Amino acid sequence: MKCEQVREEFPDYLGGEISTPARARIDGHLAGCAACREELNSLSAIWARLGSLPEEEPSPTSEARFHAMLEAYRQGMKQANRDSSPRVTLADWLAALWPRQPALQFAVAVLFFAAGLLLGPALLQRQQYKTVTVGTNDRALVQLREEVSSMRQLVTLALLQQPSASERLRGVNWSYQIEQPDREVLSALLRALDSDPNVNVRLAAVDALHLFASDAMVRRGLLRSLAEQKSPLVQIELINLMVELKEKESVPVLRELSQKQELNPAVRQRAEWGLQKLG
Amino acid sequence: MAEVRDGEVEKLGVLFERHHQPLFNFFVRLTGHREFSDDLVQEVFFRMLKYRHTFQPENQFRSWMFQIARNAHFDASRKRQREARLNSPVSGEEMVAPEPTPDQRAGRQQEIRLLQRALARLPLEKREVLLLSRVQELKYNEVAEILGCDPGTVKVRVHRALKELRDIFRELTGEKRYEV
Repeated sequence: MKCEQVREEFPDYLGGEISTPARARIDGHLAGCAACREELNSLSAIWARLGSLPEEEPSPTSEARFHAMLEAYRQGMKQANRDSSPRVTLADWLAALWPRQPALQFAVAVLFFAAGLLLGPALLQRQQYKTVTVGTNDRALVQLREEVSSMRQLVTLALLQQPSASERLRGVNWSYQIEQPDREVLSALLRALDSDPNVNVRLAAVDALHLFASDAMVRRGLLRSLAEQKSPLVQIELINLMVELKEKESVPVLRELSQKQELNPAVRQRAEWGLQKLG
Repeated sequence: MAEVRDGEVEKLGVLFERHHQPLFNFFVRLTGHREFSDDLVQEVFFRMLKYRHTFQPENQFRSWMFQIARNAHFDASRKRQREARLNSPVSGEEMVAPEPTPDQRAGRQQEIRLLQRALARLPLEKREVLLLSRVQELKYNEVAEILGCDPGTVKVRVHRALKELRDIFRELTGEKRYEV
């Protein structure tokens, strides 16, 4: 056995991880080789010294620190379990459904795409069919819409009663957002048209009532207002509106206006123009 | 550890009782810093909780622990190195021999101090392989598992590291360098 081979076995020899025949072989070589004996002695001395290094004591706070950390971790785990266990299980469940193999993933994607192509047109047809019948969701939507609408009516009414003209103006503008205002709102608007001290509010009311002119009550109110209105600006605006609505019933009122000598000349002219248009 | 992994985290207390001191010794001899080693021990046990799912029943607990320990030390010393680069020119991988306690000053204690200084001069990988196989008394195949190499390589490394340590130690004690 060569020295080199023997020395390669030294770690096993020192570590005690050596078979009896191998140990006997090495001992045999060492007996006849002073150099190897010397090498092993020096290595074994340092090996022994390494093994007898004194034990170091960890700091006394080490254990307390560990237990504090463990307790904090346990609390954190409990918290996490409470907070997220249903979410985690759902995620796990979904993840379990998803195939791991890329080829299968691709197949699933293709399958969904094909299903989309096939089912898409069919679903579309059904949807058109469905618009006739009102489903549960649609009912809820209708209900929601009604609620929003009644809220808007409340806002309109509240604003129309404000002492400030600009607030009342906002009230009139709010009424634009109501799809089908109820009696209360319509009469409030008509009241504003008849008797609001501010001319801008009355003009805005004309515009707002224009939107709801299909209502019989609004038409009657507009006609009455045309006869009684004092402001020339509002009168002209109302005449324009009558013409636009092609309101035949306004003809007697317009005739009366066109013959009133004390009336503003511009209003009289506009009334005559209205008569021509409707006549 | 299998019980800890399966949710009984309070069982880690038992493992701490049994292993924190050897672990602390490993770190002190690897780094030479007691405070740093205390922090590393805490870090290792924290990582055991955090990565408890990676523990396999067929794993030796000690091998697993030292794998975590090596990673924790690697990460922490890299961080220290970054910080050290800003503060002082001393490289973080270098080990400082622990300050001698009063009773280490006399007799055999002098020898221990010199051995610690010799260890400090050894490159990190060599220090590590000696600490694991000799001081922690792990089998070569366990060390191999920790280092991620085969047992043959561990033996070669132990041999080289031991020779180098011997030479440094001789130099320190004033003995003539032994020529092979």
